[in-house]
Amino acid sequence: MTTNAPAIVSLLICAVALSLPGQATAELKRLDDQALGDVSGQGGIYLSGDVSINELGGPIENSYFGGCDDTTRKCGARFAYRLKENGGWMVLDDIRGNFAFEGLTLRVRTIDSGFGGDGELFKRDVLELGLPNTVRFNDVRFKIAASSTARPTDPGFRQTDIFSVGMQGEVVMEGNLLVFPAGNP
Amino acid sequence: MFCRVKTQSRTVIPRWAMILLAGAWITVYSSQGWSELESMNDAELSEVDGAGLGIVLEAFKFSHGTDVPDASGDQARIFKIGGITSTDGRDVDITVNHLYISGSGSNYGRNLGPVNLGRLINPYRIDVVDGNTIGVADKAVLEFAAPAMVNPAQGFDCISASAVLGSGSCSSRPATTDYIGERPDVGLQMNVAVGDDRSANINIHAVSAVIDGSYLRLWGDNDRRQMVGQFKLNFYSPELSIHACDQSGESCGSRVLLKDFALELAIGNELQPVFFDVDGAGNFVVEVAAIQQPATGEIGADGLRGSSAPATWDFYEDYYTNPNYRSNLRIGNFSVSDRDFGSMRVEGMLIQHLEIRTRDLAP
Repeated sequence: MTTNAPAIVSLLICAVALSLPGQATAELKRLDDQALGDVSGQGGIYLSGDVSINELGGPIENSYFGGCDDTTRKCGARFAYRLKENGGWMVLDDIRGNFAFEGLTLRVRTIDSGFGGDGELFKRDVLELGLPNTVRFNDVRFKIAASSTARPTDPGFRQTDIFSVGMQGEVVMEGNLLVFPAGNP
Repeated sequence: MFCRVKTQSRTVIPRWAMILLAGAWITVYSSQGWSELESMNDAELSEVDGAGLGIVLEAFKFSHGTDVPDASGDQARIFKIGGITSTDGRDVDITVNHLYISGSGSNYGRNLGPVNLGRLINPYRIDVVDGNTIGVADKAVLEFAAPAMVNPAQGFDCISASAVLGSGSCSSRPATTDYIGERPDVGLQMNVAVGDDRSANINIHAVSAVIDGSYLRLWGDNDRRQMVGQFKLNFYSPELSIHACDQSGESCGSRVLLKDFALELAIGNELQPVFFDVDGAGNFVVEVAAIQQPATGEIGADGLRGSSAPATWDFYEDYYTNPNYRSNLRIGNFSVSDRDFGSMRVEGMLIQHLEIRTRDLAP
């Protein structure tokens, strides 16, 4: 089993921080239903993330997968799905790289104005996901492929790589994603 | 609260850490207090409606591309599409110089501004639809849909960037002096390199683009045991420009301008859905199956309803006359540089059979 000590330590620090709601400890009192009915949720969540996928290679070492310094083998993650019973597989292959963002926000917002007059007609709550303005991509790559078998180590494996995508640098992504119930019952 | 967690897929979090985390979570939530849950009766439950998700992007702006290398040859931003091979075996490498979604007045992507995508009262939708309401019998259909078309009295002209209320059936509004509107400028500038030849640039810009009425519907076919779908793409723009000049496009003399561009593309319908598959050799296959031929005697020799089986005749009459099954392309004015070629219309295209199969050219 491989472990990553810094990741565990940071998770633990987060867990401890979350379990300490304030600096001082005051007595907790039970709220009755009436009092609870008056409580409304406020604020939201502010998230910063740094996600790495197989930056140096995945955990599997075999004839197909290996470390990223080995050019004869693939080090990215693989995701295969099938569109037909007993058919071939669509594959997202060789997924690797790192992306980071700061300031993704999540909150509930009441909209009753703006949007060129739509806000007043709408007058409801939405879930607002505030996009982080920029997302830093660090050597993010993936391939779209079609394959005869789910795993490259299965017998009869044949694959056609359709195209690959590589991204690096800061991607501008500004605005708010608003999500709410709509559509047909 | 600010938590920065760096994870890698190699990381295996030990069980004790998980238990500790779960414990901390429960501790936090149990201290918030409980409210009593009450059961609902049948009458109350019947009032509950399941609904799809509405999605609106507010003040949205997207931009990514590839920067020119600096003095030391480093590039701050890179966006590449590769892995394609030309017929003579050379690698094709597409460098995306700029891909953007911006508010109107972007001047071909140079001045990016915010735009709303979707309206609160007519948003983008992700929904599971009852197939019986859209002609797919007894199926639950997953639908991704752009804002729906509306009654022309409540809508806006799909193409005009200065459309006013009551001028057309599109729901998205063009930008005005005091509102950013719901029609984005979108563009893609790319350099296509075949082998070492980097001379090919293709730059496409659409001003005030509208995709109202577009959708992708997916469901499963019991007989073929396969994913099937139905795809409708509506794309309207008062100005779609294509040019193949240098990357900046600053000194471009031969811009191809398509004024008042309208594309209404229908791939697959209730009678002929699109089938998606990968064959045994690992090639991707898209297929629109041919409609079944009528049996002998079902349609009379004169082709009229009176001499035919009425249900069969009605079926084919509907298939050949239903405008929803047909694709249209209309261009108000086609011009290259300072030459006008006038307007163009291709209307009523019906896909009767289609099969697209990718092939691997690698030896």
